[in-house]
Amino acid sequence: MNDHKPIPPKLAERFLLWFIRNDLAEEVLGDLDEKFYQTFEKKSAYRARLNYWYQVISYLRPFAIRKSRSINSNYIFMIRHNFLITFRGFKRYKASFFINMIGLSTGLVCALLIYLWVNDELTVDKFHEKDDRLYQVMQNFESSFGINTIEWTPAPLAKTLMDEMPEVEYAVPVYPPASYTFNSVVAIDNKRLKARAKYAGKDYFNVFSYRLIHGDRDQVLHDKNSVVISDELALNLFRTTENIVGKTITWEQGEFAGDYAISGVFEKIPANSSIQFDMVFNYELYTSKHLELQNWSYNDPCTYIILRDDARAEVLSNKVADLTKTHDPNAEGSLFLRKYSDQHLYGNYENGVNTGGRIAYVILFSVIAIFILLIACINFMNLSTARASRRFKEIGIKKSIGAKRSTLAVQYLGESLIMAFLSLIAALLIVQFLLPQFNQITGKQLALGLDSSLLLSLCCITLVTGLLAGSYPALHLSGFHPIKILKGNASTSSASLWVRKGLVVFQFTASVILIILVLVVSNQMAFIQSKNLGYEKDNVVYFNADSWNSGELETFLNEVSTVRGVINASAMKGNLTVNDHNSTAGITWEGQLAGEEVKFTDLVVDFDFFETMGIEVASGRTFSRNFSTEDSKIIFNEAAVKSMGLIDPVGQSVKLWGRERQIIGVVKDFHFESLYESVKPCFFRLGDKSMNILIKIKAGTAIETIAEIQDLYQKKSQGMALDYQFLDEAFQRLYASEQRVSILSRYFAGIAIIISCLGLFGLAAFTAERRLKEIGVRKVMGAGELSIITLLSNDFTKIVFIAISIALPVAYLLAKNWLEAFAHRIDLEWWFFIGAGALALIIAWLTVSIQTIKAARLNPVICLKDE
Amino acid sequence: MIEHSLGEFEELVLLMVAAHHDEAYGVLILENLEEKLGKKINISAIHVALKRMENKGFVKSRFGGITNERGGRRKKFYAITALGKRVLDNQYALRTSIYQQIPKISFS
Repeated sequence: MNDHKPIPPKLAERFLLWFIRNDLAEEVLGDLDEKFYQTFEKKSAYRARLNYWYQVISYLRPFAIRKSRSINSNYIFMIRHNFLITFRGFKRYKASFFINMIGLSTGLVCALLIYLWVNDELTVDKFHEKDDRLYQVMQNFESSFGINTIEWTPAPLAKTLMDEMPEVEYAVPVYPPASYTFNSVVAIDNKRLKARAKYAGKDYFNVFSYRLIHGDRDQVLHDKNSVVISDELALNLFRTTENIVGKTITWEQGEFAGDYAISGVFEKIPANSSIQFDMVFNYELYTSKHLELQNWSYNDPCTYIILRDDARAEVLSNKVADLTKTHDPNAEGSLFLRKYSDQHLYGNYENGVNTGGRIAYVILFSVIAIFILLIACINFMNLSTARASRRFKEIGIKKSIGAKRSTLAVQYLGESLIMAFLSLIAALLIVQFLLPQFNQITGKQLALGLDSSLLLSLCCITLVTGLLAGSYPALHLSGFHPIKILKGNASTSSASLWVRKGLVVFQFTASVILIILVLVVSNQMAFIQSKNLGYEKDNVVYFNADSWNSGELETFLNEVSTVRGVINASAMKGNLTVNDHNSTAGITWEGQLAGEEVKFTDLVVDFDFFETMGIEVASGRTFSRNFSTEDSKIIFNEAAVKSMGLIDPVGQSVKLWGRERQIIGVVKDFHFESLYESVKPCFFRLGDKSMNILIKIKAGTAIETIAEIQDLYQKKSQGMALDYQFLDEAFQRLYASEQRVSILSRYFAGIAIIISCLGLFGLAAFTAERRLKEIGVRKVMGAGELSIITLLSNDFTKIVFIAISIALPVAYLLAKNWLEAFAHRIDLEWWFFIGAGALALIIAWLTVSIQTIKAARLNPVICLKDE
Repeated sequence: MIEHSLGEFEELVLLMVAAHHDEAYGVLILENLEEKLGKKINISAIHVALKRMENKGFVKSRFGGITNERGGRRKKFYAITALGKRVLDNQYALRTSIYQQIPKISFS
């Protein structure tokens, strides 16, 4: 045995000391020690130690455990005290409690809704596993108009990249490009359904992480005769997603019509993917029908690539820049890479330079959210500092019995945090209630799923709000000198008065700016809606007839024209509401200068197009069935004639792609693209394939006429339902995101001004209350109600005037900036600014007047009686 | 209301305190009880009983001098109070009186 005495286990001793009641410690430890040595002598050191531990653990019972572990329970006591004071304050000053509560929770509601929306926008297309390595090849074209950036790339590009560039892990071509799909009919036995299809290279599911339920990523697109369908489509076709691999479906899209075997099933494309489709075919199926796509100067598919882990995108981007020219000397485009997930937020290119895109709205709304929260925080700051005099005694006494400044600051911060968290609870309830409407406006499916990231952001937003709102009061109130306060001659310093006024100025500046911006945005939107487009968009129905050949199209148009209620029917390639028209510089004309090049938009139309759309003819005539050689004729718009410099063009000839065409007419300019663009030169030629059908209907007969058209259509297409749209509705959808911004900003501006007014209301109430005696004396001396109202309102009027004068120039610059994106825009009228200013002033007056009138009508006896 | 009830184990501990008047402390009580009862007892159980009885006023305590075998800690000695003694007496009287009512039957 060791000659030195063993000692009881130290760890057990420390553990016991950690939890045991102070008055028991010495006695228990002593007894345990004594027992330990006894056991050690009778048995062994091991048994003694074991027993010691056992005994220590058996002290873990309520009787022996210390009630509170802190040695100094002061902190806990103070926290409890602070809570108590806070809730008493709420109970006692209900009005300011509710003003704060309403202000903060409205602010939080806005911030939360915007947070949900922004979060959703930011995650679009980000879900692909290899997102950081997923790039899209883009193409720049230089012309006299500047650089035009497109997503279309040469068809052989993907294969070449795979073969020649070691940096590329996968490259796939996809057609049709971007978010377009081929829409046609898929059938089994007697079931026929509409579906949206893409044609993609074999590694498509390796590049994009759409989840495959059945089938192997590497194999599903290997065969020209196979197709991968979504589980949604599978459910609709087969009522199951099981055991359908290998089954045959019929696809009825024009040249690709035929039977295809299902090789895989993918999970429905998530809502936050910018590309949506129901089925994917093999890309070679597409190229096999379009042999011209072997050529490098045809730009048809989009090309997506996955870089290798160690490859750098910028390096590869430079490397591929001239790839097209090395393969085809006639090709003009230069290639570059863009991160795939950037397309949603940074989709706009101007003259070859990325100019953002939806990110502008994301930033705009984030800024609005921050401003509204700030305004709400200012309310809180203002009211708590203004009411500081109510707490003078509390502060004085606390300080004189030893409270440090930091203790008081913590108390006020705690108060504002409690306020913020109470508001958060209210805000969550309101958001839950408002989400359906908000989703309707934004066209999204947002939900308040309480996942960890949302909870974390919620807590962060609330914490920041609470600390921000509490910061100024905490610093200001805790800084008072106790002696001055208790002697009763503490008055709010002029500095703090300035800060308070400054804060109100800030609130109103923000509100006025928002009002002006809302006026400008909604006026611009109304302007666009009502702008004379140069064609009549009302009562025009259109639908897709891509899969029909020329004969089918012709007979259908003939039949439709006989329907009562149909004024005219025609067809065109593409759509007047989408900027997807081809353009070409392939026109030469007499008198063209050497090197002069004009890009013309190529519009392919059918007979009666101008009549159906109500486009005015400036000179000459339109295409007519009465002439037999209309295929070799051409019609220009006025912009085109002007840019070519032709005088009296009708009857002259131009060469289109080397073939002579006679000009038979000139039509007045109309907007065939969105109003972001000015009217470009364009020409019209006849065509009869892959058209959209346009039907002008007599006003007021829409329902019965469309029913008849539907019957005709169903006969033609073996029972398919007609999927039609109204042109004016489609036109409105074109500006859907502006429309949404317009509606949302209106709400948010309204909320901003309401919160600002709440603050002003509270402040006015407080001022009136503090000057009660003064008002009483003035009334006794003979002052009228009106003079007292003016006296009290003057202060606020000045503040609002200052706010307006700051807001106007800022708003002017912002509005001007925003309008510059539109080719056709409203002028910034003076009354937007005066109107917004006047509105703010009137609202402020109304808010303040509730309080001032109440104060002015008071019986002086009441407020003077206790003096 | 002051609780005058006495649990079975408490009674045993109180008896032991009374037996070792003014010299009773944790380990001593433990050892004596273990010896009498012939079974292992937790020292924490003794402490719980002592504290509880101290609260009820049945025992009082004082600190003794510093001792070596306890790591320099003082012993806490317990002594029975008048109230404790009375409660013990009552308990004893109650038991005896009931015991004496047992008819003289022979239990074979």
